[in-house]
Amino acid sequence: MKLTPTVPTGCNGIGNQPPRATGFQSAWSLVLLTIFFATGCGATPPAWFRPNMVKATKEKLSAQREQQVATIMLAMFGTPDDPVALPETGLDEAKLRLAAGPVRSNIVGRKNGLYREHCAHCHGITGDALGPTAAFLNPYPRDYRPGVFKFKSTERADKPTHSDLVRLLKNGAPGTSMPSFALLSETQIEALVEYVKYLSIRGETEFNLMGAFFELEGEEDELPLGRDFLVGEMLTPVTEKWAAAAGARIPVPEMPADLDLVASVAKGRALFYGDKANCVKCHGPTALGDGQANDFDDWNKPIVEWKKEIAGEKDSKFLARAHRVLDGDALKPRTIQPRNLRLGIYRGGRRPLDLYYRIHAGVNGAPMPAAKGTIPPEDIWDIVNYVRSLPYELDGELGADRPMVARDRF
Amino acid sequence: MSLRPSLTRVVGCTMLTASLVGFSPVSADDWGTIKGKFKFGGTAPAVAELKADKDIEVCGKQKLLSEELTIGPDGGVANVVVFVRDKDVKIHPDLAAAKKDAVILDNKDCRFTPHVAFVQTGQPFTIRNSDTVGHNSNVSTIKNPPFNGLIPAGGDSTVTFTSEEAIPAQVACNIHPWMKGWVVVRPNPYAAVSAADGTFEIKNVPAGEVELQMWHEKAGYVGEISVKGKAEKTAKGRKKIKVAAGDTDLGEMVLDANLFKK
Repeated sequence: MKLTPTVPTGCNGIGNQPPRATGFQSAWSLVLLTIFFATGCGATPPAWFRPNMVKATKEKLSAQREQQVATIMLAMFGTPDDPVALPETGLDEAKLRLAAGPVRSNIVGRKNGLYREHCAHCHGITGDALGPTAAFLNPYPRDYRPGVFKFKSTERADKPTHSDLVRLLKNGAPGTSMPSFALLSETQIEALVEYVKYLSIRGETEFNLMGAFFELEGEEDELPLGRDFLVGEMLTPVTEKWAAAAGARIPVPEMPADLDLVASVAKGRALFYGDKANCVKCHGPTALGDGQANDFDDWNKPIVEWKKEIAGEKDSKFLARAHRVLDGDALKPRTIQPRNLRLGIYRGGRRPLDLYYRIHAGVNGAPMPAAKGTIPPEDIWDIVNYVRSLPYELDGELGADRPMVARDRF
Repeated sequence: MSLRPSLTRVVGCTMLTASLVGFSPVSADDWGTIKGKFKFGGTAPAVAELKADKDIEVCGKQKLLSEELTIGPDGGVANVVVFVRDKDVKIHPDLAAAKKDAVILDNKDCRFTPHVAFVQTGQPFTIRNSDTVGHNSNVSTIKNPPFNGLIPAGGDSTVTFTSEEAIPAQVACNIHPWMKGWVVVRPNPYAAVSAADGTFEIKNVPAGEVELQMWHEKAGYVGEISVKGKAEKTAKGRKKIKVAAGDTDLGEMVLDANLFKK
């Protein structure tokens, strides 16, 4: 194993570390160790973005192609210590700088490196949900790179609005390991939201770019790597979606003021068990979330499918590489549990409006389908009312199926 | 470390222009039909039976078989997708009109019919449910906004795709997880899905050179075919062919069993 070119020669040399793109993880961990021992002069080792190795390996990109992607990503987005916001991203670089880099403060009352202080241990420096604590959490932290977010006020396929992300940061996601950051200042929350968008845009652009390299015919073919292509075709389709989210809030008709709650709950219950809304199929006849238990969400599914795909792979060298990536760059796939509706814990917020959004648009990235178009708005309100009554349902008609204590079954 | 100069470098040093596939001018009558047949090279593997564990009273009535790899009695491979890759291909006037008709993907007997549907961009794509149980259809498109809507018993839902998809998108039902189907989204009418006997036909293609791309859900892009015993590498499933007026028969293309062992 040849390490000479990457061994840092001193503190100045460290900043020139190229991002990893060779696929040799064992070699890389040695390099990491070397950096660790070589940084005797008090400098923080530089941080770098981890390339999307699952995508790169799945598409069988050569080491040279991986290096090309890493170089382009470096040019377009900078490093975790030195982020770049191209004007087309619509991101505010000043906000990014507050969130980026190592935790430090050189002005009294202002702290930099917020992302690394509060988020990176779970969501990872790259926003790939591969932080050191990620594997121990259930559910896993969100991987921002696919650009898919669950809890928002927009239609299923749309990006969340800025205020959706602010709300999530302030409230946390109850029932998960995501805490509330309500104690941070508005400026700090703004900076973090901007940084999450930055990581998400970066991740999606990298994904597009790797896909474009994959589509090339031969190793000697080249992409038109000009600004038109990189910004126009790889980045803009992503940033356009973020820009569109601001005006994409789902219109919600008010719940009728003279609504008879008892009747509405009864109607919601009929819909819950009925064949049209079909909530019962996944959330279960007891609403404990024990219906459909063997499905995967959109973050885990590609890993599951790729594992199946490589099962019959003949090329042992590729297989070894694929397994290294699965071990080091992906979390062990887990099935998605439909929500237990008797706990009264709602990850995306407990306001009736939040539940309305979830039912209307479904949950992006999760199996939960959208009721939009099938269930009229007034019926969605009935389902919301029934779901809200579930933790307190005392005299259900479930007979023996009815849980005595909901928490016992969780 | 300033990063901006490096972007300039990346941008500046590679000024490649996309090569456009040019068509030689053809007269209005020069349209041809591409035909062919996919055959399985090897002994057909046993077809796995799917286990319906939800809504057994409806879904368990008939035997559900895996449709991942469907091989006909004479070895024809069904559900191989073939499409013309070229952008800006000329479209036959007869085909332009057909785009208004909706393509139907039916949830019937707890499976998707057809297993692989083909729809053009801008063409309505109706997902219907002919079963007596509710389904949902989770369409995992990449370029188009992904769709996942409830399709109640006897109901339907229509989506229109605005962008083409490089590879077919999976359609799944989350209520009945064994249900898997695919939808091919192309910007022109020149695509086909091989029938149960492995044959396919793409009608009214402008004469001249076109590049075909072949894909199968188990094999991915078809990387190798053999015609009359002669193996031919088709990187990323691509194959350039000359379309003549009348029929262009690609003959029997054998797909080796190893291609499907992924």
